[in-house]
Amino acid sequence: MKKALIYSLVILFNTSIGYAQILPGTLDVSGMPSFVQSIEDTVKEAGADDNTVGFESDFDATVISYVLDPTSIPLIGGVTSSEQNCSLNIFRYTVYMHTDYTPPGLLIEAKTTFNSGVRFPLSSPYDNLPVQPLGPRDLTPTSGSSYIAIPNNGGQAIKVFEFVGCRTDIPIQFRIKASATVPGVIATYNIHYTVVGSLL
Amino acid sequence: MKNKQFIIVALSIVQVFFCNAQETINANDPNSFIFGGDSDFNTATLELQEILLTDLEPDPGNTISFGVNPSDMEAGKPVTGAGGTSVNEDIWLNFTYRGINYRNARILVYANQPLPADLEIKIQVIATANTGGNYNPNPNYNPIVASTSEQVLVYDFASGYTGDGEGTGYQLRYTIDNPNGASLPTGFEIIYEIR
Repeated sequence: MKKALIYSLVILFNTSIGYAQILPGTLDVSGMPSFVQSIEDTVKEAGADDNTVGFESDFDATVISYVLDPTSIPLIGGVTSSEQNCSLNIFRYTVYMHTDYTPPGLLIEAKTTFNSGVRFPLSSPYDNLPVQPLGPRDLTPTSGSSYIAIPNNGGQAIKVFEFVGCRTDIPIQFRIKASATVPGVIATYNIHYTVVGSLL
Repeated sequence: MKNKQFIIVALSIVQVFFCNAQETINANDPNSFIFGGDSDFNTATLELQEILLTDLEPDPGNTISFGVNPSDMEAGKPVTGAGGTSVNEDIWLNFTYRGINYRNARILVYANQPLPADLEIKIQVIATANTGGNYNPNPNYNPIVASTSEQVLVYDFASGYTGDGEGTGYQLRYTIDNPNGASLPTGFEIIYEIR
């Protein structure tokens, strides 16, 4: 009981500190998605556009992780590990995505699933709080399990999902809808991910 | 009172609008949103298939019959001049095309077997239309006499699609000249090939 009370006080203390500053973190993006259309994925009716069909990537074509950075402890010295920071500093993170240099007629959509990925660390004193200020350390897709169209414009990066607390190994699946006018050449495009932390 | 209600309703509508709007940020300007967080990117590779599709609409039902109504026949007059159907303008040609490495395509027409002597079929593009398509028509408007030799019906065009169905793409005119009333061989077809 005393232990829980101490954890609660630590969390509340960190939360109040957090209002002054959200700790810095690092986004890791892994995977080089390869979108290869098969014959079965192409339009079958002459005259219709090829974007009426579409095709999907693997469910984990890209995997992203976001954890807080280790910090040094002033005066005392030493380092607070990433795991410790993530355990004691709980924020809400929103993930926005956009692409660049994709040709007209090419639509890239993305999605993940509810609570995909892994909490980091797996358990935290925050999980045992009677009242969790930001809710449970879950991941919530913006539009359920539906795909979201990724804009080809960094000025309009779109929210795809959000999560509470640090999280690793979040899989992202893509769906491609390409007009017949999109050139049949092997092309590469950048997909950008922006994580924004917040206190609420 | 009415003004107050109107304002409340208007505010509700505005709020509903904002709730339904998808949330976006200007990721090009981190100073506009970053309190804490990070950004990164990866590179995706895209490889699309070549598409070469063409069909004749209405489909099914694009078989053309040129017949003669016996009651219209008159001794001394040619059979096709006796009122039998000799022209058909009901068929529309559609295509969907994606070229590899920006290669253009053409549409060729030919018969799958020789026509009987004294029987001539002409094929001609008489109009183009675009309903829901995205393409550059570039047709050959000259009448083409059907034969087993390939002939160009549509000159070079880039990737695109005509829209699907009748009333879009290329309207074709079939004209038959059959003074001796010959029949086409069984299984006779006129073939359109996009290449």
